[in-house]
Amino acid sequence: MTGLLAQATTKGPPINWEALSPFIALVAGGCIVLLVGLARSAFIRRQVVPVLTLLTLGATAGLGVWQWDINEGIVANAMVVDNLTLALTMIFVAGGIAAVFLSWRSIASAEAGEGEYYALMLMSILGMLVLVAANDLVVLFIGFELLSIPLYVLCATHMRREQSLESGLKYLIIGSVGSATLLYGLAMLYGAAGGTNYGDIAAVAAEMADDTLFMVGIGLVLAGLAFKASVAPFHQWTPDVYEGAPTPVTGFMAVATKAAAFGVIIRLFVGPLIDATTTWAPAFATLAVITIIVGNVGALGQSSLKRMLAYSSVAQAGYMIAGVVVTTQLGIAATVFYLAIYVVMNLAAFAVITARERETGLGDDISSLYGLGRDRPFLAWPMTIAMLALAGFPVTAGFFGKIYLINAAVNNGYGWLGVVIVVGSAISLAYYLRVVAAVWMREAPAASTSLSAVPIMAGGSPEGDEAAYAAGREPGADVGRVVSEDFGEPSIITSGPRISQPEVIFVAVFCALVTIAFGVYPEPLMDVARDAGEALQSLR
Amino acid sequence: MTIHLSILVFFPALMGLVSAFSPRSLAPKILLVGTLIPLAYTIYMITDFDAGAGLQYVTDDAWITELGIRYKLGIDGLNLWLIALTCVVAFASAVWLSVRTPERAGLFCFHFALGQTAVLGAFVAQDLALFVLFFDLMLVPFYFIVGQWGSGDRAAAALKMVIYTLVGSLLMLAAAVATAVLSNPGGELSFVLTDLQANLLSESQQKWLFVAFALAFLIKMPAFPFQGWMPDAYRSMPLPALAFFSGVVSKVAAYGFLKLVLPLFPAATNDWNVILLILAVISILYGSIQAFTQTNARLILGYSSIAQLGFITLGIFAIDASGQGAQGALLQSINHGLVVAPLFFVVALLAERAEGSEDIRDYGGIAFRAPVLAALFLIVALATLAMPGSANFAGEFLILLGAFSSVQALAFLASIGVILASVYALRMYIRSMHNRVGPKVTSFEMTLRDGLVLVPLVLAIIAFALYPQLALDAGEATVRSTVEAVLR
Amino acid sequence: MLQIQDVIRAYLPAIVFVVLGIGLGAVFASLNSVLGPKPKHARRATAEPYESGLPSEVKKTMRFGISFYLVAMLFILFDIETIFLFPVAMQLKAFGTFALIEISVFIVLLFVAFIYVWRRGALEWK
Repeated sequence: MTGLLAQATTKGPPINWEALSPFIALVAGGCIVLLVGLARSAFIRRQVVPVLTLLTLGATAGLGVWQWDINEGIVANAMVVDNLTLALTMIFVAGGIAAVFLSWRSIASAEAGEGEYYALMLMSILGMLVLVAANDLVVLFIGFELLSIPLYVLCATHMRREQSLESGLKYLIIGSVGSATLLYGLAMLYGAAGGTNYGDIAAVAAEMADDTLFMVGIGLVLAGLAFKASVAPFHQWTPDVYEGAPTPVTGFMAVATKAAAFGVIIRLFVGPLIDATTTWAPAFATLAVITIIVGNVGALGQSSLKRMLAYSSVAQAGYMIAGVVVTTQLGIAATVFYLAIYVVMNLAAFAVITARERETGLGDDISSLYGLGRDRPFLAWPMTIAMLALAGFPVTAGFFGKIYLINAAVNNGYGWLGVVIVVGSAISLAYYLRVVAAVWMREAPAASTSLSAVPIMAGGSPEGDEAAYAAGREPGADVGRVVSEDFGEPSIITSGPRISQPEVIFVAVFCALVTIAFGVYPEPLMDVARDAGEALQSLR
Repeated sequence: MTIHLSILVFFPALMGLVSAFSPRSLAPKILLVGTLIPLAYTIYMITDFDAGAGLQYVTDDAWITELGIRYKLGIDGLNLWLIALTCVVAFASAVWLSVRTPERAGLFCFHFALGQTAVLGAFVAQDLALFVLFFDLMLVPFYFIVGQWGSGDRAAAALKMVIYTLVGSLLMLAAAVATAVLSNPGGELSFVLTDLQANLLSESQQKWLFVAFALAFLIKMPAFPFQGWMPDAYRSMPLPALAFFSGVVSKVAAYGFLKLVLPLFPAATNDWNVILLILAVISILYGSIQAFTQTNARLILGYSSIAQLGFITLGIFAIDASGQGAQGALLQSINHGLVVAPLFFVVALLAERAEGSEDIRDYGGIAFRAPVLAALFLIVALATLAMPGSANFAGEFLILLGAFSSVQALAFLASIGVILASVYALRMYIRSMHNRVGPKVTSFEMTLRDGLVLVPLVLAIIAFALYPQLALDAGEATVRSTVEAVLR
Repeated sequence: MLQIQDVIRAYLPAIVFVVLGIGLGAVFASLNSVLGPKPKHARRATAEPYESGLPSEVKKTMRFGISFYLVAMLFILFDIETIFLFPVAMQLKAFGTFALIEISVFIVLLFVAFIYVWRRGALEWK
């Protein structure tokens, strides 16, 4: 016994603390944010906590940049920090920063407590990081849970709103099924390979490709991860959860979770399971087709913007699977590139939805955008650009994203997948352009749906709550009390009242500008994506 | 003076951006500057152009090395005169916009200028991906113009137009990527047209890619049976934009056939050209018949455009030994743009004299009080029906000549279209200008400012009727070599 | 390649353990009702667990205060901390500074949680 322990002293697991620094920054930042959030002063809770969160995310990104090109296994090879991990880290951080800005004045963070809200967000990002850095099945699962559990809570943070609670619960239940499926699959992979490290699996992948145990394991893992990436037919939770969750959280989930799920799919399937491609590639290609069709068709009839974006995110996941299926470095680069632009396109849209949700009391209904083009250029243009980019119009990043993916697909004999992407994009025009039409070609609604009217009529309806809170009142302050002063306010409004929310508009405008910038000159982002693709050296 | 094509292409968009932030009265004036400078630039280019020197004024920079897309622009005999057409029609529209400024003029001018930039970009692009980019971009500003300034059910019309045309464009996007990837398997990816031409694909590969490209262009034209989006869009689009759209944007499709499809897919062209010829002839007959049965003046012009573009398609795919058909098609592209744009302005003037009605049954007897307008209209109408002496006559004659030497039966059918053209052009002229004074008509002469729009265009038609050789000479060498490559 | 027999052999102890566990539990549960003394006149009160002969004051469906669960869970959380601390404390010399740092991180994290729980008022009985 003692001899064994003495051996442990000499062997101490090798830890590369520098490479681990982004993780440490997130853990430390999360703890600090949680503790500072306990302060009694409203100023500290509402202003300092988000700033600290931003600082943490900034530090994480900075450390990630510092570690660029490191490409090595850390913590006894249980995790790998390479350019793929770091590129995805930047995506998570970008999603996180935008989510912080969008949450700054949101009612959800106030109801849940700012400290908890932002700490959970940081922990979720940590989970994403662990997930995509994982080089071991156990670490993978830890990352998966660390990513998921905070999100279950975050979805339900708008506690007074029934849909938010429903969303959290639904996500918890379905997410748990996903986790269980994944865990079962991981166990089978372990059983088949005799080790949990990716290296062990890679060693046997070629000879085990036809083994039943191994195949079932791959299938279950694929299903578990497909839940998280909302790949059809495992996508059913997506619209409900996206719709119910507070909009900043939805935005965060839509971009960061998707990136994490694709990160781990790339890491695991294109990594150790590469020699078993014949086993999983046909399944994935089929899923891609189903996902593209289901997502695009599902989005057609939606009037809730968040539901529409949920289905759109399903469709976009389908496009990105195409990049994974081809199993080339080019394909991975295309997927990473698409993930990155997918983040900015969606965040611009979610920022506009957040802004209008606070201003109109119509929630995320498409009618909240009516008449925006007439007098609100800083909201109208970002939404327009986001929609055109998602549809793949030129001079937006979406155009090159699609070219890149189709290029990767054709390059490795998956030309038909390229055609499916194109057909899907053609369907998607109908619902993306519907939003553009709402912004530019519809008149603003009559004054009856103005900010002040809704809480009275609906007795403190959730959307009105959001609007009232952002306008500076306490959430729920006008519930149960006749808001007589609101009757006096004149409510002749063109496209809804304006609320000072510069940070939300900043996110919208910034993301739109980035979308355009990468649509004109995508080279820098493509370089990063290529570096990320080259991290997987087993590929050509 | 060195010619920088980037200035030519992006100057309108730049001015459009400026005008978007300017007050309503100033915006069209800025747009006017934005269209005038490229026009002057083009006129200089025409005088400076060397017909025998191939691709000129080349700008060739690395753009996206990862995807092998280069920022390569250039002028050859094919696009020189089409660019001139673009600039002339855009200038006329800009003058019109200064005379009759729409609501939210800044934004309108921005969209219009973006449209011009996209069309110019598509014409000068010498890289397949760049062409596709501009070709797709072309649609966006017109979507917004129809959707915001259109009449009737404008949002639906705009959506229909975009979905129809973008379905084609998206297929073309995929086909373009496939062309580049397949033409150089394993090697450095390149979208540059000359590189693609150097490594032609096998016939079986060409066959399918050809279909995607042809579909995109036929929808854009529009040609039968892809004209479904046309009536709604034409009915709804504001006239200054429609003049440009009908006169120029549809020509990008014709140009695309000559510039991309024939050189890149010569083998497939031989396989498919009968089908395209049949579609062309159906377009001619269908468009002509529709044009003399419709009563809405915009639709008469819309369907006549289908017929005219049918002629152009016929010329391109005649593939006769001397290349006369294709030369005629190129000439006719310019001619049709030059006549259809003033016709739309005339329609706008007619509508002003008939309580805004665009139904020719409400017109009549306008000539009596507006002789100058009537004279200008007559000149344009005669050019439209390809009166001998007009450049349109030369164009249609060349097309039919080319067609007769390769596919006689179809050429015979197509020549019926020439007769039908005189029916619909004269019908429109007579119904509006002569006859009894219409129920809603209160005729008055056009103002000097309207003259500023129409007279330059009419002068251009006359000038072109006198010297069609100018455009033919510039394009002859390129067109000939393109057709010969297909025949080989 | 693992044969199915090998798999079964490897898991044999576990299988035996599970079977024995279920079997013994079932046997004891059923023996109790077979061998145990039965009152002649079965009454509700005597059928209840912890029968003391008196009818119990509360229903089986009584809801415990949520605070009970909260405190119980917190107790377990911090209790488990000790389980981790103990072996490290015993063998610290063998593990070296690495273990010391590791366990300090662990304690700090738990301490953060403790402060949070405390300040949020979860330790106050409501």
